[in-house]
Amino acid sequence: MAATIERDLTAPVDARRPRTGRAGHRAPRSLVAAGVVIAALFAAPTLYLVVRNLGLGAELVAALTSAGTYGPLARSLGLGVAVCVTSTGVGAGLAWLTTRSDVPGRRVWRLLAPLPLVIPSFVGAAALRAGIAPGGLVASIAEPLGIDRLPEIDGFVGAWLVLTLFTYPYVYLPTAARFASLPPQLEESARLLGRGPAAVFRTVVLPQASTAIWAGTLLVFLYTISDFGAVSIMRYATLTTEIYRSRLVPTTWLPLALLLAAVALVTVVLERSAGRRRARTDAVRARRALHVPLGRWRWPAAAFTAFVLFNALLGPLTVLAVWAVRGLLAGGQRTGSLAITNGPASLVGPTVNTVVVSLIASLVAVAVVMPVAYLTTRYRTRVGGAVNAVVVAGFALPGLVVALSLVFWVLNIAGFTALYQTIPVLIVAYVVHFGAQAMRAGQVAVGAVPLRFDDAARMLGAGRIRRLATIEVPLMRPGLLAGAGLVLLSVMKELPATLLLAPPNFSTLATVIWSANESLYLAKMGLASLVLVAVSGVLTWLLVIRRAERFD
Amino acid sequence: MSMRPSPSSDASAPRARRSFAVPALALVALAVLTMGLAGCTSSSDATTLTVYSGRSAELIQPLLERFSAETGIDVDFKAGDSPELAQVIAQEGDASPADVFISQNPGATSFLAGEGRLATLPQATLDKVAPDLRSADGTWIGLSGRVRVLVYNKDTVRQDELPAAVTDLTDPAYAGRVALAPANGSFQDFVTALRVEIGDDETAAWLQGMADNGARTYANNNAIVEAVGRGEVDMGLVNHYYNVRALEENPDLPSVNHFFPDGDPGSLLIVSSATVLATSKHAAEAQQLVDFLLTEESQTYFATETDEYPVLPSVPIEASLPPLDSLRTDRVDFDELGGGFEKTIEMIAAAGLA
Repeated sequence: MAATIERDLTAPVDARRPRTGRAGHRAPRSLVAAGVVIAALFAAPTLYLVVRNLGLGAELVAALTSAGTYGPLARSLGLGVAVCVTSTGVGAGLAWLTTRSDVPGRRVWRLLAPLPLVIPSFVGAAALRAGIAPGGLVASIAEPLGIDRLPEIDGFVGAWLVLTLFTYPYVYLPTAARFASLPPQLEESARLLGRGPAAVFRTVVLPQASTAIWAGTLLVFLYTISDFGAVSIMRYATLTTEIYRSRLVPTTWLPLALLLAAVALVTVVLERSAGRRRARTDAVRARRALHVPLGRWRWPAAAFTAFVLFNALLGPLTVLAVWAVRGLLAGGQRTGSLAITNGPASLVGPTVNTVVVSLIASLVAVAVVMPVAYLTTRYRTRVGGAVNAVVVAGFALPGLVVALSLVFWVLNIAGFTALYQTIPVLIVAYVVHFGAQAMRAGQVAVGAVPLRFDDAARMLGAGRIRRLATIEVPLMRPGLLAGAGLVLLSVMKELPATLLLAPPNFSTLATVIWSANESLYLAKMGLASLVLVAVSGVLTWLLVIRRAERFD
Repeated sequence: MSMRPSPSSDASAPRARRSFAVPALALVALAVLTMGLAGCTSSSDATTLTVYSGRSAELIQPLLERFSAETGIDVDFKAGDSPELAQVIAQEGDASPADVFISQNPGATSFLAGEGRLATLPQATLDKVAPDLRSADGTWIGLSGRVRVLVYNKDTVRQDELPAAVTDLTDPAYAGRVALAPANGSFQDFVTALRVEIGDDETAAWLQGMADNGARTYANNNAIVEAVGRGEVDMGLVNHYYNVRALEENPDLPSVNHFFPDGDPGSLLIVSSATVLATSKHAAEAQQLVDFLLTEESQTYFATETDEYPVLPSVPIEASLPPLDSLRTDRVDFDELGGGFEKTIEMIAAAGLA
């Protein structure tokens, strides 16, 4: 009986659903050409690795077949999978609670939930450790309560927890955008036909959001295998810590970086072939999405949300604030350098720089990847698959590799040398490194545009640009903003490429944080981190949340 | 949370136009920035030195600003991790814009020497410091000294428990109590020095002994000093100035530096160094900057502001630090080891310390 209902419920929907892909059509040549050009740009780091590794000859084979390579590789993969599971649960859960339920305080949660992404992982991990480690802040509170020694959190468990807390926004942002733009009719029908809220979620809501959730999960995996900050602070030896430790020995680190690129490419290809079986759904702007009353689960849901955000945001920020205040109170004796580099006013320039480069990079990233998003979503071509893999894989490489590759290409291609260590090349590095985030979000957005509107407008005589401006962009807006938001937050905290590729004397909040941490000016590091989170909060609200909230 | 009337498609048109305007504006801004920067670099080329520095701005910038004020030579400053900057310089090759490289650890400098990227400094400059604080072939000169120490928590470690030699740390008495930072450049330099001192076999045995004794590994010196300060681990091998700085911001910390006595390699002196790049187009000015960093004024800055050892014998050492002649600065020649740091990194990995 249930099966009959299921068929009855979905059959008419399927029949009504318009095609979003034009499988029968050939992709326009201009789009394919654009895709190839963009792929060439994004392939820069991987090609660099291939070129350098080929130069190693026999040493490459020796390094790849060395037994010492497989432990770190296995740990990277295991950590990636574990973080994916928890980040997806937390990110999708929070997305649903904040966009589709009546959980108390959801407006505040919506503002705060994406922000853990902006905390540099080495800062967040160090702050969390300082908070929960034996003798840390939490322990000093727990001691009077008779708790002697808290369990130590490090190694696999520590890295897993920290990365979950700081990467769930990769799932949260696209999924929340998706949930917010789901048409309510299907859910209403399912409810009218007697499905309970849980069944509606499982059979109607979740399948429609699956492309967005998978998009985020892939980013979480790729970020996790490329992360260095959290795993090094948590003392978990992965491929990236091995690359870092051997960074003076190219015969060791180059093969390891190539291995990382290969893992990323394989992952992307697997994800894409799995993605073909996933349902596609339409974005409709007609009415706001349905809200589900949680009943007696309202307050437990609020407690869960608060718990996540306490650990991912408030906890680390408290530790940073303690460092800042304590250092500023006691640090008066370090006057010599304070006068020149340590006053709070010295943060103004880096803050402006951070805002300008991250805004430009996020907009350029969205613009650059849109042709690829169209090519890969609307058409099934071999070229599209390859371009997709190349763009997404760029995200899994450590920033050091992206930076060195651009040093190599910019200085070796005639005519580009003058651009070395200028803002445009830095922006290119950000786009190559983080474009994958905009593209996955862009693909979700493009996939949600029903072609029937486009067809109707075409029949009514609207030109290509007009159709894009009046139909597609407005429909894709929440998804595109989510993608831009991801890039924005990632660029704001980016460190290795910024250090190596920025023009001289150019500092961002991330480089200030690094620099202060290097010389153990914890006060300054705390202060700069707080500014970074505050500024990213303002930007996220202005550019992503406020604009996407028309659906609420 | 009221239901809004559905926006008609007409209402969405102006919004759509606005969202096109934003990227367009951004592209214009980008173009302006590009032109501005292109203008800057071409006009100021003649009098600008480019410094790549493994020392962060807090630890060198004030001196560079003084140099610019005194000489009228502008300094373009790029800070980063020493080994990563060394990789960049090697990748840049002959096109490198860098004139001077200031390194936090000898490994990064040796790497560049091996790649043939370093010029030879004039003898007059080299003679300013003792021979053990500069390279024998004249490619680098020490700017400031940092000493390896055992930082310990005075609440959990008794004075009489402190080891006399770093090699004692493999003793069961220290099982699970010692922290190391295997990826840290200074730790790697210390291991290289240990190889010179006691030989590769003994060093490998010591590393293995540390691993077997449950040595705890940390990301860097900062993390060790913080962990010792909060009582997470009893003691750790770090550079001396981290704890000095930590105490300045939080004087209540129970962490104390233990200097190994009698010239033990555990308290090796490691110099941060300056080099002039072979590809520098402003070699004379670059040389001038290196000399400036070796004046008494600059050396006093290192002694008083960054809590390090000055390399000029005439500049007094901070009272809280033991005198240089009680530490080992001699007998360790990093140049002699050639690419010795590569083997060191392999040996650390082979012991399973990560």
